[in-house]
Amino acid sequence: MIVADLNRREFARKLAGAGLSIRFGPFNLTIRSDLSSLATAAHELYAPYPVPETDAIHDFHVGVARPRSLRRWIRRQACFVVDSNRPFAPYTVEHAFPALEWGINWCVATRSHHLLMLHAAGVERGGRAILFPASPGDGKSTLCTALIHSGWRLLSDEFGLVRPEDGALLPLPRLIPLKNESIEVIRRFRPQAVFGPAFFGTRKGTVVHVQPPVDSIRRMHETARPRWLVFPRWTAGAPLSLQPMAKSEAFVMVAGNAFNYEVLDETAFRLVAEMVERCDCYALSYSDLAEAVAALDDLSPAADG
Amino acid sequence: MARGANDSRRARKLLLAALQTPETLPALPPADWELLLRVARRARVLGRIESELARAGLLDHIPPRAATHLKAARNVIQHRKTLVSWEVNRLLWALQGIDVPLILLKGTGYLMAGLPPAHGRIFADVDLLIPEQRIAEVEERLLACGWFRTHIDPYDDRYYRVWMHEIPPLRHRERGTEIDIHHRLLPRTSHFKSDPEPLFATARPLADPRLRVLAPADMVLHALAHLFLEGDPDEGLRLRDLVDVHDLLGEFARDPGFWRELVARARELGFGRLLFYGLQNAQHLLATKVPPDVLQQMERDAPSWPVRKLMARLIPLALLPEHPDHPSRRAELSRWLLYIRAHWLRMPPLLLSRHLSHKAWLRLRGAKKRIDLAQLDLKQQ
Amino acid sequence: MIVATSYVRELVWRRFDDLWIVYQPSSAETHVFNQTTSEILKSLGDGAISEPGARTRVEQALGLATEGLTFEDFLPAVARLQELGLIDSLAENPAHP
Repeated sequence: MIVADLNRREFARKLAGAGLSIRFGPFNLTIRSDLSSLATAAHELYAPYPVPETDAIHDFHVGVARPRSLRRWIRRQACFVVDSNRPFAPYTVEHAFPALEWGINWCVATRSHHLLMLHAAGVERGGRAILFPASPGDGKSTLCTALIHSGWRLLSDEFGLVRPEDGALLPLPRLIPLKNESIEVIRRFRPQAVFGPAFFGTRKGTVVHVQPPVDSIRRMHETARPRWLVFPRWTAGAPLSLQPMAKSEAFVMVAGNAFNYEVLDETAFRLVAEMVERCDCYALSYSDLAEAVAALDDLSPAADG
Repeated sequence: MARGANDSRRARKLLLAALQTPETLPALPPADWELLLRVARRARVLGRIESELARAGLLDHIPPRAATHLKAARNVIQHRKTLVSWEVNRLLWALQGIDVPLILLKGTGYLMAGLPPAHGRIFADVDLLIPEQRIAEVEERLLACGWFRTHIDPYDDRYYRVWMHEIPPLRHRERGTEIDIHHRLLPRTSHFKSDPEPLFATARPLADPRLRVLAPADMVLHALAHLFLEGDPDEGLRLRDLVDVHDLLGEFARDPGFWRELVARARELGFGRLLFYGLQNAQHLLATKVPPDVLQQMERDAPSWPVRKLMARLIPLALLPEHPDHPSRRAELSRWLLYIRAHWLRMPPLLLSRHLSHKAWLRLRGAKKRIDLAQLDLKQQ
Repeated sequence: MIVATSYVRELVWRRFDDLWIVYQPSSAETHVFNQTTSEILKSLGDGAISEPGARTRVEQALGLATEGLTFEDFLPAVARLQELGLIDSLAENPAHP
């Protein structure tokens, strides 16, 4: 069963009541909110995602609710809630949906220490994955969105989830939040992509969520093996350049940027070492998205030959 | 509201059953597992449950999805144990040539002495007790070897140094673990006796003779003080601390003289009432085995019947989490009550109300908790 | 005199390019060691050695002429390794460890 099997009314009822049950990659979530703006965006954007079995254990219980104090009447605020804790400053009601998405990121990052969590985008084709470790100015979300609309499957735009037992990558194909200029870039690159509503004036500027292609969502349980580590940097006007990168540098960047490298002690060290040993590592510099996509496409046949 | 109360009752029952009889956990249906994981996380006993199931060889007999949560807790705990024991190692290295008696307190003591509360328990900082007159020397050496004083507001700094029993925490510039150096276990202003000299006289050395831990009776009483006197309005009293007391009693009771010593020491230090509450609640909530004659003796330290009845309801309310979907007002109230009482016991009441209003003012100013989610660096968790 | 601590035996070494990336189980830390630092640790393999003796061994391992390794390169590396708990100094005066 998928979320789209619920009509709008049932969906809103569940969301406002016992909670909407939904699966994102390895995680089952219960989401609660009585805010109608959030219900509308969620019903549209979460439509293709599966609903867990009735007796499934849920990993996170999240929601967006109005504050408990007098503030609720004064400025129409909303708080991200997890297990009835409200760890963050409130948002305006209009930004409830982005707040939910960011809050879910926080839950994953702070709790999922049974996995090694790299801070990286990932895409897969032919069973092999490219990981794009995060760094300032990387433009990885934009690049990732372009790739998944050009024949690659989405693993995640934020979390490189590595299963410690075998080093496999676990997909977490959630909505991709695009910010400010990137929104237009992707609208031009792939006008038929599925865009959610625009949220203006958030702390990160304007945000629009892109729904991944249904194929990425349907295959969320198919793991992948990392084959390439590509460190992207977008700079206006930069010519395309895809250069091999020293593995020692790749190790330091991947480990240094991970969400929980330290927590997993020696296991994390071995997983990152193996990954860096097995993967070809590149630094990618680009300004034109289509050129970057083409250059990454070329990696794939090169490895087959 | 009735539904909320029932849900909370169910949540608490699950939690206590998990702590008392972990061998029944493989039979738990998925819906109960889901709730148990949430309340156990709240009460910070996920690691404890994992540790009990691991020792009983039952981790393969529970739902795999539940097991991943327990595994995550275990990984965090293992990591923190390494950090704490390494910090002690580096501390000894830095203090080479300085011969100072060091007593490891709380979790640091449990870990380094290999005591049962260390199983499945998360450790944050290193807690030490050293003689007051040696503090300046020790602090100076640590500062010279790469530690620095953590920045706190000047009011809290003065509060620490003058009223409290510890100096503001130190942290090494490269590592995250904080070192809390205490010179007594409770403030001078407390009406509980806590002169440190007798503690040093009876402290037990570890395999490394430079390190010591409190004698068993002192360790239990310190754990009780930690449990009852250090509440806060958000968390109330920490169930995890009662579990520590339960574990320590189970371990030390193997020595036939232990109970007699414990009762005598409690009376000597004015901790009789605390021990009374500690034994009552450990027995009632965690099925701790306490010899009937000890309970009989402790009746002498019981409060008046009205207070006793009230505390018998309030303490569990403050210790046990509510159902995670239904935060209860009553629990908040009783938490507040106990928090006040805790502070009253640590400080003269006039100073208490002044200190509490300043803390409240700081909270309103937003100086403390509310973080901006959008800018949060998720890696700093 | 300097000597390796027992924690050196537990180190997990991985070589990438001409650097060693090393995991230290006792502290849960990951280090990046250059050639000088890793040769210092290797030179301590057999027990205690004087600092000049260690320096000579490292110079030989790195293919440098005698006195080729300046003390500016050598001493900070030794101090660092002491701070990390991998080297102990059997020095007489521990006033400044």
